[in-house]
Amino acid sequence: MEETISLQDLFKTLKKRLGLIALLTILAITIAGVVSYLFLTPIYETSTQILVNQEKTDAAQMINQNIQADLQLINTYSVIIKSPAILDQVEEQLNLGLTVDQLNEKITVATAENSQVVNVTVQDPDPQVAVDIANMTANVFQEEIKELMSVDNVSILSPAVLNDNPAPVAPNPMMNMAIAGVIGLMLGVGLAFLIDYLDTTMKTDQDIEDILGIPLLGVISPIQEKAELTEKVATSSRRRAG
Amino acid sequence: MARQKKVLQQTARKLITFTTPKSYVAEQFRTLRTNITFSSPDADIRTMVVTSAAPSEGKSTTSANLAVVFAQEGKRVLLVDGDMRKPTTHHTFHMGNTIGLSSILTRQAAPEDAIRPTAVERLDLLTCGAIPPNPAELLASKSMDLLIKQLKEKYDLIIFDAPPVLSVTDGQIIANKCDGVVLVINSGSTEKEMALKAKEAITASNSKIIGAVLNNYELAKDSHYYQYYGSSE
Repeated sequence: MEETISLQDLFKTLKKRLGLIALLTILAITIAGVVSYLFLTPIYETSTQILVNQEKTDAAQMINQNIQADLQLINTYSVIIKSPAILDQVEEQLNLGLTVDQLNEKITVATAENSQVVNVTVQDPDPQVAVDIANMTANVFQEEIKELMSVDNVSILSPAVLNDNPAPVAPNPMMNMAIAGVIGLMLGVGLAFLIDYLDTTMKTDQDIEDILGIPLLGVISPIQEKAELTEKVATSSRRRAG
Repeated sequence: MARQKKVLQQTARKLITFTTPKSYVAEQFRTLRTNITFSSPDADIRTMVVTSAAPSEGKSTTSANLAVVFAQEGKRVLLVDGDMRKPTTHHTFHMGNTIGLSSILTRQAAPEDAIRPTAVERLDLLTCGAIPPNPAELLASKSMDLLIKQLKEKYDLIIFDAPPVLSVTDGQIIANKCDGVVLVINSGSTEKEMALKAKEAITASNSKIIGAVLNNYELAKDSHYYQYYGSSE
């Protein structure tokens, strides 16, 4: 017997298992929501901005060249910020009990394209600690750069501040729930088709013709409990009357 | 008392063509009757077996209701409980089962005594009788052939309620002695493999399959079969 699957059959299967699919989707979203809100440690993010600028701006035509040089410098600075030379001091001053590597993981250095501004972003479960690390890193860097590169061209543009109501950046419950919803939906659809595929019982009039090859004389619907049915109708109408 | 009530309710449920002849399920049985009549225009089907692959797929309900609708059509119908291992028709029609088919075949009773009229006009019932130790041998006996021959003179149609063909051989034996076989398929519970085997077993018994009945088939709500045409009960 040749198995052919038509689009209608697919939709029929999905329609039949709509409850299962919906249940799995809702379940996945709920689990993701509960885990995100109750179990995952929220991570807070703060950032400080550092401006890199040569102070000797003597000639106007030189500015453009200086900026180019600064941009190249910034790449170097990004590496320096995350180097143990800086982070060791940050740790020493803040005394957080973290290794340089752990500290390194919390810090991200990024430059806005074609600008002289360097963003130092810090993520930590404690928003206060994140602010402290960001500011301390910027300060230490500003001090150290004088010694390391014998220039004084770094100024702190905006220090990290602690908001009154810091919002965590991770976990993102909405995103997690959305992803879980999609996964739940796919799982439900997959399971629906699997159940349908594994079900080897005769179902429709089509099955009888396809498999047995004998004429279908008729279909008989399930015989309902008549007594129960009339009883239900009676109680509902009585309720309406009263 | 409660048990009695339950039995009554179940009976009312089973003989739907008799208790609620205007329901759409009753109409489905009438369609079934029409299709059986039209299925073999040349050969007149006088004896018919209702069987299935596995137990409890609706053989007894189908055969009883089919007997009722054929009787309502004007035929003189005899329903025979050929299931000598788990007889049920006497429950359906509220009758005793002290004498029946087994009594006739073992020559303990005459057919006239064992066959009893039912509440349905023109429909008579032959229950199974005492459960014999050797149903297959009894059904295969010469006296069974003789009985069918005798009964054919009195009735237009004899419907046998047979045991499932894949469980015991009785179904095949009865099928071999009859003009046609109706195979009951229970939607959602009969395995495809089993249904195919049942069909092969019936074919092997050298009997003609009239066709299949799809039982317990949930019609879609928007199906045009769903509402009984003409009146809403």
